[in-house]
Amino acid sequence: MADTSDTGKRMRIEVLRYRPEQDAEPFLQGYDVPYSDDMSVLQGLQYIKDWLDGTLSFRWSCRMAICGSCGMMIDGEPRLACKTFLRDFPAGSVRVEALAHFPIERDLVIRMDDFLAKLESIKPYIIPKEARSLAQGEYLQTPAELDVYEQFSSCINCLLCYAACPQYGLNPDFVGPGIMALLHRYNADSRDGGASARMEVAGSEAGVFNCTAVGYCSEVCPKHVDPANAVNQNKTRAAGDYFLRLVTGKGGAK
Amino acid sequence: MNTPDPRRPYVRPMAGWWRRNPFFVEYMVHEATALFVAAYALVLLVGLLRLAQGEAAWNGWLDALRSPVALVFHVVLLAAFVYHCWTWFRIMPKTMPPLVIRGKRVAPGVITACGVAATVVCSLVVLVVAWGATR
Amino acid sequence: MDVWKADVAIVGAGGAGLRAAIAAAESDPSLKIALVSKVYPMRSHTVAAEGGSAGVVQAHDSLEHHFHDTVAGGDWLCEQDVVEDFVARSTEEMVQLEHWGCPWSRKADGHINVRAFGGMKIERTWFAADKTGFHMLHTLFQTSIKYPSIRRFDEHFCLDLVVEDGRVQGVVVVDIASRRFTLIQANAVILATGGAGRVFRENTNGGIVTGDGMALAYRHGVPLRDMEFVQYHPTCMPGTGLLFTEACRGEGGFLLNRDGYRYLQDYGLGPAEPTPRNKAMELGPRDRLSQAFWYEQQKGRTIDGPHGAVVHLDLRHLGEAKLRERLPQIYELAEEFLGVDPAKTPIPVRPAVHYTMGGILVDGRCAAPLPGLYAAGECSSVGIHGANRLGSNSLAELCVFGKTAGVEAAAFAKSVAHGRADVLLKQAGASQQRALALVTDTSGTERIATLRKEMAQSMEDGCGIYRQADTMQATCDKLAELRERYRRVRVEDTSSVWNTEWLLAIELGYQLEVAQAMAWSALERRESRGAHQRLDGYGERDDVNFLRHSLAYHAGADAPRIGYGDVKITRSAPGTRAYGAAGEQAEKAEQERAAQPGPAGEAHRG
Repeated sequence: MADTSDTGKRMRIEVLRYRPEQDAEPFLQGYDVPYSDDMSVLQGLQYIKDWLDGTLSFRWSCRMAICGSCGMMIDGEPRLACKTFLRDFPAGSVRVEALAHFPIERDLVIRMDDFLAKLESIKPYIIPKEARSLAQGEYLQTPAELDVYEQFSSCINCLLCYAACPQYGLNPDFVGPGIMALLHRYNADSRDGGASARMEVAGSEAGVFNCTAVGYCSEVCPKHVDPANAVNQNKTRAAGDYFLRLVTGKGGAK
Repeated sequence: MNTPDPRRPYVRPMAGWWRRNPFFVEYMVHEATALFVAAYALVLLVGLLRLAQGEAAWNGWLDALRSPVALVFHVVLLAAFVYHCWTWFRIMPKTMPPLVIRGKRVAPGVITACGVAATVVCSLVVLVVAWGATR
Repeated sequence: MDVWKADVAIVGAGGAGLRAAIAAAESDPSLKIALVSKVYPMRSHTVAAEGGSAGVVQAHDSLEHHFHDTVAGGDWLCEQDVVEDFVARSTEEMVQLEHWGCPWSRKADGHINVRAFGGMKIERTWFAADKTGFHMLHTLFQTSIKYPSIRRFDEHFCLDLVVEDGRVQGVVVVDIASRRFTLIQANAVILATGGAGRVFRENTNGGIVTGDGMALAYRHGVPLRDMEFVQYHPTCMPGTGLLFTEACRGEGGFLLNRDGYRYLQDYGLGPAEPTPRNKAMELGPRDRLSQAFWYEQQKGRTIDGPHGAVVHLDLRHLGEAKLRERLPQIYELAEEFLGVDPAKTPIPVRPAVHYTMGGILVDGRCAAPLPGLYAAGECSSVGIHGANRLGSNSLAELCVFGKTAGVEAAAFAKSVAHGRADVLLKQAGASQQRALALVTDTSGTERIATLRKEMAQSMEDGCGIYRQADTMQATCDKLAELRERYRRVRVEDTSSVWNTEWLLAIELGYQLEVAQAMAWSALERRESRGAHQRLDGYGERDDVNFLRHSLAYHAGADAPRIGYGDVKITRSAPGTRAYGAAGEQAEKAEQERAAQPGPAGEAHRG
């Protein structure tokens, strides 16, 4: 817990509460939290939980923007609570809500099994282009080949991009930006030969063509993954596959 | 024995979603300006139709374009076009595979700038050609 | 209560748990594997590991070197046969991760690259920029999806082991979202729940690192070994304790005191050279560097900051381009959390608790003394870290021993039959009632946060970088008091959906008992070795009396009983642990001595 005793500064943190066994619908509850300039919104919430109201529920763990647990709407924007700082709300108040476009399980906790199911559907593992035994050592991959997919492999599954995607909000069947980034991460890996199986998902009814290039997903991504780029690169590819099928009369997402 | 599942996930409504965030408002404006592009296409289409109907019809169409209302309309169209063009090229880097020149990725800003520059050049060429043709 | 019949149940889905699940699934696809985690697997704290993972790969390196670095780094409190196995298999595990897609950083020719790390004679640390743990975890998690026999219990909290007929036969878990309980019946259970660093105040660990598995095994009579050895990482963010990877120094970073002086040269780590020399200066082992910080602070040569004394981690001379390429996460952490541009300004750092060297006693096959129970990763004490872990050995450990645990547990599971569910259910029901009592009994008065804060402060006061009997005793007394007060802990939240306050109370119970094992093991070790350093007349290593593993046994509500076990020595007799120029001299002398015929070197004291 940050040392908050000496600054005298206080922040009004308005939290969207929802306890399914008590509340018919979510409501805002305000807390006054003493803070110092190096305190994150997450530390503000922890202060509430520890000293003001033990019933407030939220996910968190690493505190350093890598575990992806603490995505929330902070003053209406999808942010990681651990790397959003209270000093950046000079008006003295900040509103914190559960990530948009997901069902609220309780308070700031969203239900994310939809994301996991989609992740499982895209075969998020290397399907080797050519077999290689451990004794043969590593696959060779140049820094340039690594660079093609490395940014997409940096997705921490924090779901901020989903909260930024109105198309996902309107149609939760859409595979969405984060999953497309991971799908592209494997398709673009020089070691992988499984693209055609994954392109079935990308080109499906729930696939890339749900995206209307809003682009906010890439703006809010805390890890510079640029999921919009993954989605749109695969629009071109999925369209190509479609016309190839028309011409050849068979499945051909090669 | 386990109790029944006490979960009751709350799904928030999407109505009015585009007003919730300045980014979404901007996106909607961008999308809306596409209607102006369509409107101008209609204007041109009508001109084509008039041309096919003979010289009098064509001149009537030209006169209509010279009216103050039409001029104001065209200024509005131009503004919408410029905005649509700028926002379109701004999102362009996100829609294409990485552009690598001499081992380095081309920055998004450069791609946008190139797009805008190409638009300006094309527009100038059209203007010059049109000016030359009507002299 | 629901019952789910598994062959192998794994608690914890970080690096070790996932690797174990994959190994068990591959060893026999017909086995049913339950993978339980209180968070989604990709949230596990493996995710926060930064610098890299060790595996011998360069032509001028050898397994022998990795072995000696590890054993000397651990101040000879290592199980040497296990270390031999570890260094022999770690490279293969790194290659396996590569085949599974881990985006290792590469050399221009496409081969994987390695970087220097503290206490390592030759560069052998595989890395994926400065997000190695993140990439390893996501690679393992996503690869685990390939195996249909792995049934995940995400966001399920483990409340107890079920022990019947003298062997482990399952675990009791609760679904955090619904508070529905499940008995997972299993013939073998692998604990892979990570460390316990959150029992200390300033630490690099995530909120989930609360020693759950250690406490579960400990309560069932399995001793916790070498718990007094808690690693302080020398370069952490003041206040939050967030980690600035050792790779900062591996890439050439300096540590400076208030005079801009590379103070490590005053602590037997010199000479100070402009580029990193392995096993010298900033590339010394973590225990020595944290201890040097402590002395600098005593001498008044540290810098005062809002969160206590700091020194400077100076990366400026590496330049922005290299920092962005090799240490991008560190760059962003410094910029966003501290407002410091590391290419222009040194980063203020101080030591913070990072790693639990000790853990659940297991043998080289990852088997605990309780039949059917296995453990791997930070929660276990398989014996490779001794009194001080070398950076980049823990990520390799996850893979090597995660795999061992998976294979061994699968084999054991096939050798026994499932017990009677009704008997096990009765036990599980009792565990459920004990856990629920925390919410149903509303007479409590003690605030969770108060108890936790007092525990963490007391551990820092008594079991910090330097220790002495009176403060350690005070910590032991404090922990006894806190355990007594814990019986009156108050949980305000009575709801059954996502009741995290209830879980915090259970975790606090785990933490208090693990903290006790640490503090008592420390008090009883009357010598200084590795990360356990005393100021009260036990400042030297004492191989005669303490070249032994400590074993903390649970004793109900009382303080733990501390026993001792032998240390397995195969090839490396305890010697002088020296780094820098002194280390090179000692190594030369050792080589000359080894070349002479005669008995292998006699144990030194020092």
